[in-house]
Amino acid sequence: MDHKYIAKMLSKMDEDLSKQGMSRRDAMKMAGITSVGMFMGGVTSASADDENKTVKSNAKGKIVIVGGGLAGMSTAARLTLNLSNPDITVIEPEELSVSYQPGQTLVGGGIWDESDIAYKRDDFTPDGVKVIKEKAILFNPQENKLTTDKGTVVSYDYLILATGLHLDFERIRGLEEAGRAMSAGDNERLLKGLGDDGICSIYTAKGATKTWEQMQKYIAQAKSGKKTQFLFTHPNTPVKCGGAPKKIMYLTNARLKEAGARENADLTFYPNGGAMFGVPEYHDAILGQFKREDFKWHYRHNLIEVDKEKKIAVFDAKWQEKGPWDPVLKDFEVIPKHEKVRVPYDFLHITPPQLAPREIAESDLGSSKGWVPVNKETLQHIRYENVFSLGDVAQVPMGKTGGSARKQYKVVVNNLIALMNGKALEAKYAGYTVCPLITDIGTVMLAEFDWTVKPTPSFPLDPTVERWMWWLMKIYLLKPMTVYGMLSGRA
Amino acid sequence: MQIKFELVTYNEELDSFELDETIYQVEIDEDEEETYNLLKDSDLHLYNWLKESDFFTKYIKEEVYPDSENKKIAISDINGISFRRFYFFKVTSGDSHYEYFKKLYNIHEESDWQDREDVGEEILQHLSTKRQELILNLG
Repeated sequence: MDHKYIAKMLSKMDEDLSKQGMSRRDAMKMAGITSVGMFMGGVTSASADDENKTVKSNAKGKIVIVGGGLAGMSTAARLTLNLSNPDITVIEPEELSVSYQPGQTLVGGGIWDESDIAYKRDDFTPDGVKVIKEKAILFNPQENKLTTDKGTVVSYDYLILATGLHLDFERIRGLEEAGRAMSAGDNERLLKGLGDDGICSIYTAKGATKTWEQMQKYIAQAKSGKKTQFLFTHPNTPVKCGGAPKKIMYLTNARLKEAGARENADLTFYPNGGAMFGVPEYHDAILGQFKREDFKWHYRHNLIEVDKEKKIAVFDAKWQEKGPWDPVLKDFEVIPKHEKVRVPYDFLHITPPQLAPREIAESDLGSSKGWVPVNKETLQHIRYENVFSLGDVAQVPMGKTGGSARKQYKVVVNNLIALMNGKALEAKYAGYTVCPLITDIGTVMLAEFDWTVKPTPSFPLDPTVERWMWWLMKIYLLKPMTVYGMLSGRA
Repeated sequence: MQIKFELVTYNEELDSFELDETIYQVEIDEDEEETYNLLKDSDLHLYNWLKESDFFTKYIKEEVYPDSENKKIAISDINGISFRRFYFFKVTSGDSHYEYFKKLYNIHEESDWQDREDVGEEILQHLSTKRQELILNLG
């Protein structure tokens, strides 16, 4: 990318906006946006100024953050900005923990390389923050202590859990050897377990590169004239970035069209859910896009098994039937039914089931479902008041995106400092999240919403329309805002 | 104005409810009618108002169950508004009951088609507490 290319892009962005009857400057102004950093959260200029005021607190206490990914390291950075004498330790074993995960879709679609999203923990560790390059495996919240895999015992006054989540490939029969994985790391076992015969997943950085390799292989097959089946799954657990399973499907479609091979390919989406998106307005828009692009879809299908040898994906398909009349409740009962459905594939993109890490799930800090149970607004643990959690591992509805983490880490910092000062916890997370849904190479639908399950657009533009300017934002603005803005505790 | 209502009796040992098949009715005065009209669209507020009204408990103790000591009851229907789902909810209950409780208890799953057993279990956990609030101990 050179400056001429950027200028050309910006000019096209202006062109796009001018069709809406406004200039770029006016659009930013109307949305109350002061810089690119505001794209991801829809923060008004007034509140942005407030957020950036740093009146340092003299509060004291030893703060331990388990997990040095985007959520954990941004929290550490912001705490150093807000405390006069910070005593912060981050426990994080993975060298590339702060890599830019939202870019994995683009790596999978061949737009970026893996090196474009790889960022090292040590380059983003705030000054004065200690890092223990080990993995926390035992938690003793009653005594405010934890133990690492190398036997180091760490005590704390305040604990922040930002461990991220586990990608549970081993739950899928036939892929047991792939084990569990996290987004960063070499993931050698996972890649070996998935093999080289059409199975892939963008949910790890290495896997994203592999996805692009496999995608090209099967696009070439389609181009050769052979009818080729491309399958995309969405599991029955919460997932990070709920839009990603569809984004990679759209990018595969774009690459097939680019290669002139689309007519020999069937693209089919198998979501566990009964809708394309939890927000009805975005569901309708995506359904329209699916019809336009001639995609197929089958709701309520959960991938449970892969026969790698025969190239068959096995789904647990669910439906409901009307049961007998219940005279007491004065309604018909509903009987859930299910059956196994076997589907041949050439290319199978798997969005794996996702779980809280075992060491959290099996500790007193985890809920019955494994995630860390927190007050969804204050992000304070429901049982241990000196524990907070954010990011993928926190049990917060719709909270597993970088956009959510960007809102959450400021709430955690404000509330932790309030707690340290013996004050009430007043900062509240309102459930905001954002999904820049890539619908083609060059277009993105910016799906923003919160717990009201209604679109909450930051811009005075129809949020269900796919736009070139959001593509520019996704490709050029969000990464620097995240890597340099958020990880420094400011954006 | 008259309020028609139905009751369930609570068996503490079995932690279960049983329908009292009788439809009862009680006369209310103008003040109470005004209150009723204000609350009739908000089911749990209506329930709590009736449960805590002296005229209602007096009627129950004197007319409905005059000889029952330590009896525990709950209201199952008030003028056609049903509260039965609070006592007889089960995994196979109709979708409308699921939707009602998901909204009431702010249950949100990221997967849009819910696993009925998981959601049902969560609803039942909430209900175990809620039922105790709804029960009227006749003393």
